[in-house]
Amino acid sequence: MADTGRSRLLFLVGVGMITVIVLLALLAPRLTPYDPDVTVVARYTGPQPPSAAHPLGTDTLGRDVWARIVFGARTSLAVGALAMLVSLGIGVAVGLLAGYFGSWLDAALMWVVDLLLTMPTLLLLIVLATLLPPSLLTIPLVIGIVGWTTFARTVRGEVLSLRERDYVLAARALGASHGRVIVRHLLPGTLPSVLVLAALGMSGAIGLDAGLSYLGLGVPLPTPSWGRMISETQTYFAVAPWLVVVPGVAISTAVIGFNLIGYGLVDLLGAPRT
Amino acid sequence: MAGYVARRLLRAATTLLGTTLVLFVLVRVIPADPAVSIAGPKADPATLAAIRKDLGLDDPLAVQYGRYLWRLAHGDLGRSYVTGRGVAAVIGERLPATALLAVTSLAIGFTLGVAVGLLTAARQGSAADLAVLIATLVGLSIPTFFVGNLLVYAFGYRLRLLPLGGYGGLSHLILPAATLAFVELLFYARFVHSNVSGTLASDYVRTARAKGVPPLRLYLRHALRNALVPIVTLLGLDVASLMSGVVLTETVFNWPGLGRLAVQAVFNLDIPLVAGTVLFSAVLVLACNLAVDLLYGVIDPRVQHG
Repeated sequence: MADTGRSRLLFLVGVGMITVIVLLALLAPRLTPYDPDVTVVARYTGPQPPSAAHPLGTDTLGRDVWARIVFGARTSLAVGALAMLVSLGIGVAVGLLAGYFGSWLDAALMWVVDLLLTMPTLLLLIVLATLLPPSLLTIPLVIGIVGWTTFARTVRGEVLSLRERDYVLAARALGASHGRVIVRHLLPGTLPSVLVLAALGMSGAIGLDAGLSYLGLGVPLPTPSWGRMISETQTYFAVAPWLVVVPGVAISTAVIGFNLIGYGLVDLLGAPRT
Repeated sequence: MAGYVARRLLRAATTLLGTTLVLFVLVRVIPADPAVSIAGPKADPATLAAIRKDLGLDDPLAVQYGRYLWRLAHGDLGRSYVTGRGVAAVIGERLPATALLAVTSLAIGFTLGVAVGLLTAARQGSAADLAVLIATLVGLSIPTFFVGNLLVYAFGYRLRLLPLGGYGGLSHLILPAATLAFVELLFYARFVHSNVSGTLASDYVRTARAKGVPPLRLYLRHALRNALVPIVTLLGLDVASLMSGVVLTETVFNWPGLGRLAVQAVFNLDIPLVAGTVLFSAVLVLACNLAVDLLYGVIDPRVQHG
């Protein structure tokens, strides 16, 4: 176990990185005078390098890259948070039920988990994304449906040990219903690991969303998206490297930030390592 | 041991059956009408009816699922909506390119990763430990396709040493393999590092050290041997994430493998081809996990009785 001072440092660096991205997303319209979807150069002569008017340059359609980055932060955070909540909801429910009731229900639910783990995540995502019309709601839903297995396995493991504790046995002996035992006595005990998984789930979902967008299967066109900024402009990499580097750094920062928060939380909350 | 093997085989078989059911539901039940996907939205009703009859789409779903399983058992993955070619044949054509890329990068990444993990194993919480933790965390957070793009920029555009993409000789393989190997290296380095660090701090290693066991023997016989079971487990699970990495890397480098095939099939709405690719990768992952399960008995004698 690493010492707590260093974990706190990692955690705070992560919180700092994510705060910056959240601020970009919240203040987007105040941070740039430009519309992210509109050509802003007067006469298009190819992508422009960073200048005073356009701090991160303009892209292959003459749009302001900084405007697309700050509005793209909204997309990434919204997709990441929604997807994480879907995974968290399904995973925690499955983990609680499987761990508490055990026997055939546990066997059946864990069989579904094993099933999902044998299908490559990105390929399964691709299939689902083909079947559902892509939108700001379906993309996070699809990522969430694919990604809940870690939540379920971890919560199940915790419940297996929690349900044998004296206070849980006492509650059951006093006649508490299954629902009350699960919600009042087991759920709070899983909170530290769920918080860790929520942070790691955000980073995973943002990474998957970027991958999907890069393949052209993410949130549909008018919405600015960091992943697609790379796929749209990578053929111009030789002449306009900033068009690829800037969104790449943005995605990496978001993923690193949430990962740092997650790993810092492991030690700060005394959650088991997963 | 026989009972253990039988249980594992049964589990693999039920998972495989479940996978086919999931894919059947995804492919047959969710899309509105495959006949429209084949003939296009403007086709006349008579054509659509003929296609439905031809594909047996009017039969009950259970009958259709049974027929699907029967065909799978005979190696028939269906026909591409777009080209009309057998899906199994198309996958067979693309497989060598993907296998070359995946095996090369896994071999390089795994070997280097285990070596780096062993060499950097240190007291937990020390500066070296923290450095490895942060380096692997940051490295693994960078999207695969971004790593690939940066390599293309450096070695393709700037230094002009290597081709930008495509398939051919060794020079075409270097950048895509390096992209995937980068991820694999960090993944195994982090795991071996923390696992071996933990073992080195344990009582039995301290005892061995006190008895005067030389350091190399301590690392290989005590620490690495103990880490072997989880490493092999990880290797089995990693095949699934390796396939996801392959899809992105093949797209960056225009590498004509299964990943490119699946993505192109998606854009063509060629559902049998997409489903066939996913089923093929799922079978691959299942086979690897089964092999890993059976290997346990060899690596760890405790498992045989468990």
